[in-house]
Amino acid sequence: MVRKKYKQLHQLLDQYLTSYDIGQSYDFDQITLEINKEYLYEISKVLKETKQLDFSMLIDLCGVDYLHYGLDNWETQSVSGTGYSRATLKTKNTHDGSNNDQPKRFAVIYHLLSMSHNWRLRLRIFTGSKNPPSVDSVVSIWPTANWFEREAFDLFGIDFEGHPDLRRILTDYEFIGHPFRKDFPTSGNLEVYYDEDEEKVKYRPVSVTTRPTVPRVIRKEKRNK
Amino acid sequence: MEKGCSGVGLAKEQNDLIDQQGPGFVITSIDKLVNWSRSGSMWPVTFGLACCAIEMMHSAASRYDTDRFGVFYRASPRQSDVMIVAGTLVNKMAPALRKVYDQMAEPKWVISMGSCANGGGYYHHSYSVVRGCDQIIPVDIYVPGCPPTPEALINGIIELQKKIKKRN
Amino acid sequence: MTDKSNLILNFGPQHPAAHGVLRMVMEMDGEVVVNADPHIGLLHRGTEKLAEIKPYNHSIGYMDRLDYVSMMCCEHPYVLAIEKLLGIEPPARAQYIRVLFDEITRILNHLLWLGCHGLDIGAMALLLYCFREREDLLDCYEAVSGSRMHATYYRPGGVYRDLPDEMPQFQANRFISESKVKKLNYNREGSLLDFIEDFTNRFPARVDEYETLLTDNRMWKQRTVDIGIVSPERAIELGFTGPMLRGSGIEWDIRRKEPYEVYDQLNFQIPVGVNGDCYDRYLVRVEEMRQSNSIIKQCVTWLRDNPGPVIIDDNKLATPKRSLMKHDMEALIYHFKLFSEGYTTPEGETYTSIEHPKGEFGVYIVSDGANKPYRLKIRTPSFVHLSAINEMVKGHMLADVVSVIGTLDIVFGEIDR
Repeated sequence: MVRKKYKQLHQLLDQYLTSYDIGQSYDFDQITLEINKEYLYEISKVLKETKQLDFSMLIDLCGVDYLHYGLDNWETQSVSGTGYSRATLKTKNTHDGSNNDQPKRFAVIYHLLSMSHNWRLRLRIFTGSKNPPSVDSVVSIWPTANWFEREAFDLFGIDFEGHPDLRRILTDYEFIGHPFRKDFPTSGNLEVYYDEDEEKVKYRPVSVTTRPTVPRVIRKEKRNK
Repeated sequence: MEKGCSGVGLAKEQNDLIDQQGPGFVITSIDKLVNWSRSGSMWPVTFGLACCAIEMMHSAASRYDTDRFGVFYRASPRQSDVMIVAGTLVNKMAPALRKVYDQMAEPKWVISMGSCANGGGYYHHSYSVVRGCDQIIPVDIYVPGCPPTPEALINGIIELQKKIKKRN
Repeated sequence: MTDKSNLILNFGPQHPAAHGVLRMVMEMDGEVVVNADPHIGLLHRGTEKLAEIKPYNHSIGYMDRLDYVSMMCCEHPYVLAIEKLLGIEPPARAQYIRVLFDEITRILNHLLWLGCHGLDIGAMALLLYCFREREDLLDCYEAVSGSRMHATYYRPGGVYRDLPDEMPQFQANRFISESKVKKLNYNREGSLLDFIEDFTNRFPARVDEYETLLTDNRMWKQRTVDIGIVSPERAIELGFTGPMLRGSGIEWDIRRKEPYEVYDQLNFQIPVGVNGDCYDRYLVRVEEMRQSNSIIKQCVTWLRDNPGPVIIDDNKLATPKRSLMKHDMEALIYHFKLFSEGYTTPEGETYTSIEHPKGEFGVYIVSDGANKPYRLKIRTPSFVHLSAINEMVKGHMLADVVSVIGTLDIVFGEIDR
């Protein structure tokens, strides 16, 4: 029954969004649309205002950084003579952050819900090669997006054009950096301590290092058909 | 002898025997009385940050009642003498924690509750977590657990009472 | 003429009514709020970033600690999302156990909400009553997982272990006599299911007690009726879900509309409000407690009659029994691989959500085929609800701000993650 419902949605999307060049995919019972960022505002209006689609609620808006997609720490196709050394400090096969202008690095994902038709949709918009990455804001269409866009800006550095009040929301007041980017270390760069002489809370470089104790391994399992 | 103390009950002519016993049993008795009253009525300031705050509330509620130990939560730091840091301390919250600690009047004590407040805990490797509230304030008692059961917290309070009673 | 300007008031991070660490900078015109700007992030622990460096099963504990008053409901969507990626389904008994504990968690959440909301507004004794019930339910958590709060009980493929046949009992000591202990243990003589059944028999009377205290109380009504009204259209625009949405009159419950686990086989009703004010939301949540009680009764009956496995058979995903591991070679190899590396999920992404006591709690996992998630995004209801607070308190007085914060039912572990 779920499949039939989504077939209907698939046809409606084809019908209403033919003029835009979109890619549709269907995985794990969910439809994902990949949209060009220039048409985001228009497509969002169509999705919300068309009665047959009626995506009235924005459930979630998040950023994704695809920099390390598909990279692993340890490869084994067969039995190996060496193991994974827990003492490794750096993970192998990582890129540094110098390629912010990689066109497919940052994406913004929108999850939409239509209550009247009871179906969900996912939109993926790549931010393109502009640096800093930026996308149009959808606050005027779905007011829920306000805090979600602030969070995506804070954690990834994605700029939302047209947002009324874009400032940091989750990280510290004068935090430098965008923590969820893949080139930002897990333990961060600064830590907090109390200085007895000056009698205030101050920052100093971080003293712990995070080493991967369990290696990241990618396997093409036969059961995952 | 502390300057400005009441001097009640002090013998003006020092008896040799009492002199040989050190500061004198009268002052020790006053100390004992003061320590007993301090430990018997410790008023914590409500500083619940995360999950440990819920267990702290449970320890103050129906089944494990801390009121029978004289522990009665006060909202204002100026009226309290112990601070129970319950939960993860985050970089953004650290100045507020220090401010609240500074507003408490002497004598004051700190109980660090839960593994996040003890040393960063489950979130030790995060960029935004202070690895232990003792980076910011001096701690007297550490209560381990994630979260510590109310029994463990009450045990921590009793340990603090013992610590106060030893002080002079 | 003196210059008049608005007062900027800091409703600080340490505040007894702030429900955790909320900092609001409010602009006040006398006693009336003109603008309220919440500052969050005072409990931002970087859960999503930490989850990217740990195998899937290691992050189940992080999910517990997000909404720390309703623990197992937060593990649930994460575990469901992993199961969706892996393409597996837990056995029926596991699904019923999960629904049982979800509803127990819903009662836990609403009890704490009621206690704290009452405490903030001034009904202080309510907190002690609600926590008395909570203690019994936390005993259920402890019996099944060993921990009172953060259970880490749900696993991809089912639940960690079956319900125990014995409940932990009170022990006699020099303060409590044998006869008193016997009275305290009257409902702990049997298995966990007997204990839960006894709880469901006692609970409706308790909810009646709370309603007697509050529902027709003039002071409660004055503090909650017509406070924080949200119209149905605005509620959808603001992204409300759960009791916040149902209080405004919209019938939307994921357990009915997109049933997961065995909710489509259970009999329950969804309470819906009329006006969208704090009082209606209070009534909705109290009625939800009663409905959860009836769901628990149905689950207990089913679980009694249907023994069976509680986790899938596939040892590549679920650990083999420990006793088997001690003497069987294959079981030992599976055990080793699962605990040293963990299972890998196929490439893809999924968003799974459930009807959490506070609203819609969703988990979005992006996987690139590894044993760790590539990106984990947690969509929490409290984050969305708190963003609407400016609109809800404009024009109200300072004391009403406390009512509104209480009715939003927010928990900072969820908001800041």
